[in-house]
Amino acid sequence: MSTPITTALSPIKPTRLSGRSRSGLLHGLMTNRKAMLGAALLVFFILLALLAPVLFPGNPSRITALASQEPSAQYWLGTTAKGQDVLALTAHGARISLFVGLIAGLVSTIIGILVGLASAYFGRVIDESLSVVTNIFLLIPGLPLLVILAAFLPPGVGTVIFVLIITGWAGSARVLRSQALSIRSKDFVAASQVTGDRAGWIMLREILPNMASNVMGTLLGCIIGAIGAQAGLEFLGLGDTATVSWGTNLYWAGNEGALLTGSWWVFLPSGLCIALVAFALSLFNYAVDEVTNPRLRTVKKRPATAPLSRMEDAQ
Amino acid sequence: MRFILRRIGFYLIAFWVSITLNFLLPRFMPGDPISRMLSRSQDKMTAEQVLQLQRLFGLDNRPLLQQYTSYVADVLTGNMGVSISRFPTPVSEVIASQIGWTLLLGATSLLLAALIGNLLGIVAAWRRGSLVDSALPPLLIFIGSFPYFWLAMGALYVFGIMLGWFPLRHAYDSELDPGFTWAFISNVGYHLVLPALTIVLVSIGGWMLGMRNTMIATNSEDYITMAEAKGLKPRRIMLRYAARNAMLPSVTSFGMGIGFVVGGALLTETVFAYPGVGYQLLTSVQGLDYPLMQGLFLIITSAVLLANLLVDIVYVRLDPRVRTN
Amino acid sequence: MSHLQPWKIFRAAGVVLAASALALAGCSAPAAQQKAPASTAGGKDYSDALLTLPREDMGTFTRNFNPFSPNAAPMTQQAIYEPLLIFSPTDGKTTPWLATQWTVGPDGKSVEYTVRPGVKWSDGEALSAEDVVYTFELQKKLLGSYDYVDKVAASGDKVTFTLSKAYSPALFELGQQIIIPKHIWSEINDPAKATNEKPVGSGPYTEVTRFAAQAFELRKNPNYWQPDKQKIAGIKVLAFSGNDGANLAAVNGDVDWADQFMPNIQKTFVAKDTAHRQYWFPPTGSMINWQLNTTKAPFNDPVVRKALSMAVNRDQVTKIGMAGYTAPADCTGLSGSYEKWKNASIRDACDWTKLNAEKANQLLDEAGYAKGADGKRRLKDGKPFEFKFSVGATSSDWLSVANVIAQNMEAIGVTVKVDSPDWAQVVAGYEQGDFDSGIVWSPNDPGPYKYFAATMGTKSVKPVGTKTFDNYHRFGDPRADALLDRFAATSDEAAQADIVNQLQQLFNEDAPVIPLFPGPEWGAFNDVRFTGWPTEQNPYASLSARSPRTVLILTTLEPRKG
Repeated sequence: MSTPITTALSPIKPTRLSGRSRSGLLHGLMTNRKAMLGAALLVFFILLALLAPVLFPGNPSRITALASQEPSAQYWLGTTAKGQDVLALTAHGARISLFVGLIAGLVSTIIGILVGLASAYFGRVIDESLSVVTNIFLLIPGLPLLVILAAFLPPGVGTVIFVLIITGWAGSARVLRSQALSIRSKDFVAASQVTGDRAGWIMLREILPNMASNVMGTLLGCIIGAIGAQAGLEFLGLGDTATVSWGTNLYWAGNEGALLTGSWWVFLPSGLCIALVAFALSLFNYAVDEVTNPRLRTVKKRPATAPLSRMEDAQ
Repeated sequence: MRFILRRIGFYLIAFWVSITLNFLLPRFMPGDPISRMLSRSQDKMTAEQVLQLQRLFGLDNRPLLQQYTSYVADVLTGNMGVSISRFPTPVSEVIASQIGWTLLLGATSLLLAALIGNLLGIVAAWRRGSLVDSALPPLLIFIGSFPYFWLAMGALYVFGIMLGWFPLRHAYDSELDPGFTWAFISNVGYHLVLPALTIVLVSIGGWMLGMRNTMIATNSEDYITMAEAKGLKPRRIMLRYAARNAMLPSVTSFGMGIGFVVGGALLTETVFAYPGVGYQLLTSVQGLDYPLMQGLFLIITSAVLLANLLVDIVYVRLDPRVRTN
Repeated sequence: MSHLQPWKIFRAAGVVLAASALALAGCSAPAAQQKAPASTAGGKDYSDALLTLPREDMGTFTRNFNPFSPNAAPMTQQAIYEPLLIFSPTDGKTTPWLATQWTVGPDGKSVEYTVRPGVKWSDGEALSAEDVVYTFELQKKLLGSYDYVDKVAASGDKVTFTLSKAYSPALFELGQQIIIPKHIWSEINDPAKATNEKPVGSGPYTEVTRFAAQAFELRKNPNYWQPDKQKIAGIKVLAFSGNDGANLAAVNGDVDWADQFMPNIQKTFVAKDTAHRQYWFPPTGSMINWQLNTTKAPFNDPVVRKALSMAVNRDQVTKIGMAGYTAPADCTGLSGSYEKWKNASIRDACDWTKLNAEKANQLLDEAGYAKGADGKRRLKDGKPFEFKFSVGATSSDWLSVANVIAQNMEAIGVTVKVDSPDWAQVVAGYEQGDFDSGIVWSPNDPGPYKYFAATMGTKSVKPVGTKTFDNYHRFGDPRADALLDRFAATSDEAAQADIVNQLQQLFNEDAPVIPLFPGPEWGAFNDVRFTGWPTEQNPYASLSARSPRTVLILTTLEPRKG
């Protein structure tokens, strides 16, 4: 095996034309293939959700007698056992699923930011007490808590959102706290304190912007988690079975024995949609990691037989 | 050492808070176990039976504080009481008969996912730009994006029903008697394949990506350059230098994963009719079976806390920097 | 590079893992495939086969055969213990079982059963009238049941019950109690808490030969009193966590019998082997009603109740909501269990349970609930005519029914909102009287007494805020009380029939609840291995594995012998 040193010193061919981005995160994302793909998928689903009432007017859960029809020209994705149009159900389902996922993820992250920042900045008593609370929420088994809360609160979209937030904020709080701690110890924060800036100002304008990529990553993670947990809850019948969402579509598919009767067209679309949205968000997350941490960026495989070295990751 | 003692202290407080929550939470739920039983059995149970069962089950009507103190005393002595939804089987027996399977399923899946995922992550980081690095993580993330139960039902349908390669239910063929025979153990393994496989598929992406990213960060450290400069073989550097250091976050995740093995397999057990405690958890909550719920939560919380404590201890041994804090 | 490299170890380990997984699969695969029974029974002898059936609501089994607990293992009350007599609503016959004959005293205040001679418990001891007496005493002590029984005494082989009031349904209530052995249970310290792991019973299959959380087996009682009827070798029950797993087992042919709800049963189950598979859902379950809270306006007006009833498209409800598994109800409000009690003239002249939206609209207009400009009706106080329809989230078929009904109500300008929380919450609302309307099931006793007492009797009416376990809709008609009392006092069949006719007339007039459809008793079977199943042509029992009639099936089935 040839020596790594010579390889490291040989000229490195750039794998991408664009140089180091100067305008930061946004510009980096716009030139990243993964981010573009993820964004495209997300935009598609958001448009689908917004336009569903226009494209598929009327009540998507209208019960008809045309039960369990295979996909055809009239019903592109066939019908359910109750004669409902699967395509309309899927499109309308996007509305609640995305809405709940986005809101729950967003609010969890905001609470996580508040708790994490306050914990890191104020330290001592506030930190200890907030940490204890965070750790306790982390240690409570998630699924049983979900089940209990969902079972005794009145059914509805609000309950699902509330339950998801309660079980989701602690993870982001812990991650953001450790990140905020490391930034807090930096000099510019001390400088800000010395000049007499208020605590809130420092937290929002000094610490938070430096954590942008972390916050973004946490936000995306929370949204993905919320969408998945929502689907799981609704599949168990603990969500609001009266609303149309991807999770409740799967609940009905299970209850009507879609797979058992061979009606795969009832079972497939909602699951695939959840996967695609989660995947799009993950791609975006992946891209954020790559942009902010240059070492993680994709490299093209070197045509030479020389062993790869980590020095080639630059760019 | 002080670090460990502080952690133990914290865990004791957390334990106390958890058992208090375990006690209070079910009691905030509306209704009582017998009304729930009535609503479940519907036409099989009559109105008179409700009063009879209240008598039979001897439900506790003492003031809350009294119930709480005897609950704490019971927890400390290990007395978990008698289950209501399985009356009159004691809670300890209900849990003991099922928990082995949950642990087997959870531990196997966790080990496999962590091992394979970490290995793949190491390979991906070492071979940047290869197929393993560029195609595999997104693919695994995509597979992991599917709702777990969807994947499980699909796997059951395709591999169990359509192809008939794997059994459709349970932990072993009911004709066999449990024992340490090759026939039994291999049969258990055969039944374990589909459930464990689905869990592994869903979680492996996360392990791989995490390890890969940490490895890449580690690879840029100076001591790796030093090792390369000294002329050490790449594989040796990869494993004995880079991987050892990159492993630390994985250890933490693994530890947390152990803790959640007990409570996490609900959907798997439902889809594959695997006789573990997951489904029991759901039905005990829905049936307001206080003693069983409390027993299960106690076990889950203890497992999580214990796992966290072990991870902390192991971490101290692995990473000397923590000791000096 | 001759020394062992960690990388190679990892790779080797991975290969070993994969190989062992395949090896395990290979080793066990043949064993697994032998399990599926041959679908064409060309000459196989199933004399040693166990009758296999699923249980979908327990997830796992615990070794608990306590006869007092409603949560004991399946088959406790069906195969291990037996009652004095068995009443079958599918054919209306009463079969003497542990009792050979019975008489009701002339004043209706006593019942006497003659215990069958020569019956032994599974441990060899003889079953006597003393066991019957002990059973009822223990039952009363532990659960407080049968509060109308003053005294129970044995003399020779006769057991006499002295009642505190004339109560003709007692004959069947007492007769269907399962009998337990005195010599075992008098030795147990705390019978309520005994898990009874090695049960001693008089039933056909009492020996627990294998018990695991996922399945257990029961084999023949060596001392059974009908040895010629123990033709099958034993019973095996499999545990599942929900309908899906159990349905899969049935469809795959891994079980002989399935009594859980199966969607689209013709296509998924029967079509796979039409020669051997059948299903039969006799309408002998309890009546499923749409109850309206009669303490709230406008539900206190029978005209409104009947109008709402006329707007329900019961065809759609049964065909789409219940997948065609049952038929619409009629104005008698009685389920299929009471077919022989039905007042034919009322049933045929029925109007308020047939779809008639125009008449409904007309009735509501006349009653003063006018439609607004938006086509939606208003209540008398000006508020919109809308209300909630409660049903538990887990009953997907009833949830579909609720959705159909909500859609039907649009035609008469009434807005119905389906509310589907957990069943426990729904029932909690019913118990307190804090609900608008919802799905409810009815009692399903051998006679219609309880049904009418629970729908129209004033004694079962409790005020809103007081917890009650029946008559949730809180309606009582004093005229019904008189009829019910007369029914309880007599055991003359002709007199009873006449009283029930009058009760049905009252029901038709009052419309206390809106009958939707008789609840079907689920049941399907696969007769590849065992024959002798009850069917529509041979209705000696329903295909339920959890009813008092199940033991009739267990003692009728026989294995195919090729």
